[in-house]
Amino acid sequence: MRNKEVFFLLPILLLLSCSDDDVQQELTTELNLTFDHHVGGEDLELSGQIYEKNAGEHFRIDTLKYIISNIELQLTNGDTFKYPVEESYFVINEKDPSSLSIDLEDIPADNYDKIRFGFGIDQSNYPLNGVDNFVPTAEENGMLWSWSAGYKFLKLEGEYGNSIAEVEQKFLYHVGSHGENLDNYKVVELDLGETLRLDQDGQSIRLDMDVLKIFNAVHAFEIAEKDDIQVDPVNAPKIAENMKNSFQVDAIVQASE
Amino acid sequence: MLRYWSYIAILMTLISCSGDEYAVVEDLDENKELEVPQPAYFPELTYDINENPPTEKGFELGKKLFYDGKLSSSGVISCGFCHMQEFAFTHHTHRVSHGVGGALGTRNAQPLHNLAYKKSFNWDGAAAHLDAHFIIPITTEVEMNEEIGNVLEKLKDDPSYQEMFNAAFEDGQIDTKNLFDALAQFLVMMVSAETKYDRVVHQGTAEFTAEEQAGKALFDSKCSSCHSGELFTNQQYMNNGLPINPQYDDKGRGRVTGNPDDDYTFQVPSLRNIEFTLPYMHDGRFDTLEEVLDFYDSGVEETPNISQEMYNENNVPGIPLTEEEKEKIIAFLKTLSDVDLTLDERFSEF
Ligand code: HEC
Ligand code: HEC
Repeated sequence: MRNKEVFFLLPILLLLSCSDDDVQQELTTELNLTFDHHVGGEDLELSGQIYEKNAGEHFRIDTLKYIISNIELQLTNGDTFKYPVEESYFVINEKDPSSLSIDLEDIPADNYDKIRFGFGIDQSNYPLNGVDNFVPTAEENGMLWSWSAGYKFLKLEGEYGNSIAEVEQKFLYHVGSHGENLDNYKVVELDLGETLRLDQDGQSIRLDMDVLKIFNAVHAFEIAEKDDIQVDPVNAPKIAENMKNSFQVDAIVQASE
Repeated sequence: MLRYWSYIAILMTLISCSGDEYAVVEDLDENKELEVPQPAYFPELTYDINENPPTEKGFELGKKLFYDGKLSSSGVISCGFCHMQEFAFTHHTHRVSHGVGGALGTRNAQPLHNLAYKKSFNWDGAAAHLDAHFIIPITTEVEMNEEIGNVLEKLKDDPSYQEMFNAAFEDGQIDTKNLFDALAQFLVMMVSAETKYDRVVHQGTAEFTAEEQAGKALFDSKCSSCHSGELFTNQQYMNNGLPINPQYDDKGRGRVTGNPDDDYTFQVPSLRNIEFTLPYMHDGRFDTLEEVLDFYDSGVEETPNISQEMYNENNVPGIPLTEEEKEKIIAFLKTLSDVDLTLDERFSEF
């Protein structure tokens, strides 16, 4: 069936391709996204620095990784530019500096005032078909739950305790969707604060993520209450909700070469 | 008519600016689409055929992948090692599957048939989509213990695969999507509906013996609340009161959802080809159908979340059966065997 259609379409396509190629092209440019992680007012430093969180708990972070996807920019006229879905899956890994800076290409040069991206993988709208090719990247980064054929959206691991001296108990938050049962995918929408005027010289949006908010934004978590949260239908959705509220736009800057 | 248009299409292709595309047309035309069998009385397809329509070349590639040990870290464990055609694609000789290095899994390999009609996969429904399922066997330590990235590298190093991916997919890429799509194209073609049961009940070309007929009546009244419909499963997760095996303490569906109400529930298995798919239950604890029916008769335990359906009229868990009734039910179950599937050369390794 499909083959026959191709058969009929081909001559038309070929005729078209013979005709003048240089139809007026929209001007496109590059956009860089940079992810900065901090803990309250301090920079995040892995495996050393101890921080204090809500409920008087102290903690250290050894691993912070998460998946973002489905990047969209909203034009000032209300329209939306969708970055090609298959190319918009990324693992952000604090340990790997190269992962903290994402270069997006072929963005129409225009004016934008909002950015949206997904936390995790939207399995209801793209039931893994479209995201199959992200599997090797996720695998390399340990972001697959291989036994359940699903992605871990967030991996947050470290140690905690009641005082600085007592930070030795391990904790682990792994959040993803639970099969078809529980969808923990979230859309993060952020005002750019000012209008992003994209022209030929690309620009960079600096995004800030506050680790304290993972523990305390919409929902407050005491790590000691449950320090191993994995496939948890009660807590995982709350952490996802907190994640959604942990980002903000810090600044728009000229992209450095 | 079609032919006529084809000639025009070819002609126009030839006279348009470059002639190379002619070859492309021929190639595409050679890769015929295959039709997934859809018996009229089966439920709706769950697999979206339009997203990944099986083609001759895709099927061929999927079959090669299915029987290729390259998909495992040791290079010798193929999908077909655990899913053997003679036994409706189960790992017949093993209770729980053996993987790379003889590593033991905790579950009994499921038959592969009528997958295009399933809503979720594995005993616990860990995979909601067939294409996503393949991550599990390939990366699980006790199965193929390999990384998808590595598998792709190995396939890229093999020129015959490059050729086959080119023939099967328009973009010809050796990537995860095409790898999973090809495996799925092979598997969705395994439709099993050529049994005595189908001939009697749906085609009117055979008749049950008196024993089979009596077995069907017993089955309909005692078993079909869970093993329902033409696939003999309601595709729900239920606990049939199987005693908990302390060696594994397998929580089944509970592990996937994290919900304690789902602990110890497993997907109600299809009973098509049940004669071939021994051993039985998620951990393969029973070797014969007699043992299965002895269990339903007298072995059912009140484990957490046991299904309401398992209580008999005296509000005691279990399905009391006489020896004679058991024999009749087994006679009926054996009418669900599809020899065509187990002998079909399209699916055979050699
Ligand atoms: C080491 C043995 C082993 C190997 C190798 C293996 N499988 Fe399986 N397969 C199993 C077991 C065991 C199950 C049940 C798993 C569970 O419920 O956790 C299963 C389940 C499945 C299912 C789900 C069937 C259903 O009805 O839900 C499919 C599909 C499947 N396997 C396909 C494959 C494919 C394709 C490959 C090769 C990429 C493969 N398997 C390799 C043992 C194996
Ligand atoms: C409460 C629903 C329910 C009822 C009623 C029920 N079953 Fe089952 N059956 C299941 C579930 C669930 C399993 C899988 C259990 C497991 O492996 O933990 C199963 C497994 C089986 C198996 C093993 C299948 C395999 O592939 O290993 C057979 C055979 C079977 N049942 C036959 C029957 C017969 C015959 C009856 C009626 C006498 C019956 N069942 C009644 C739910 C039910």
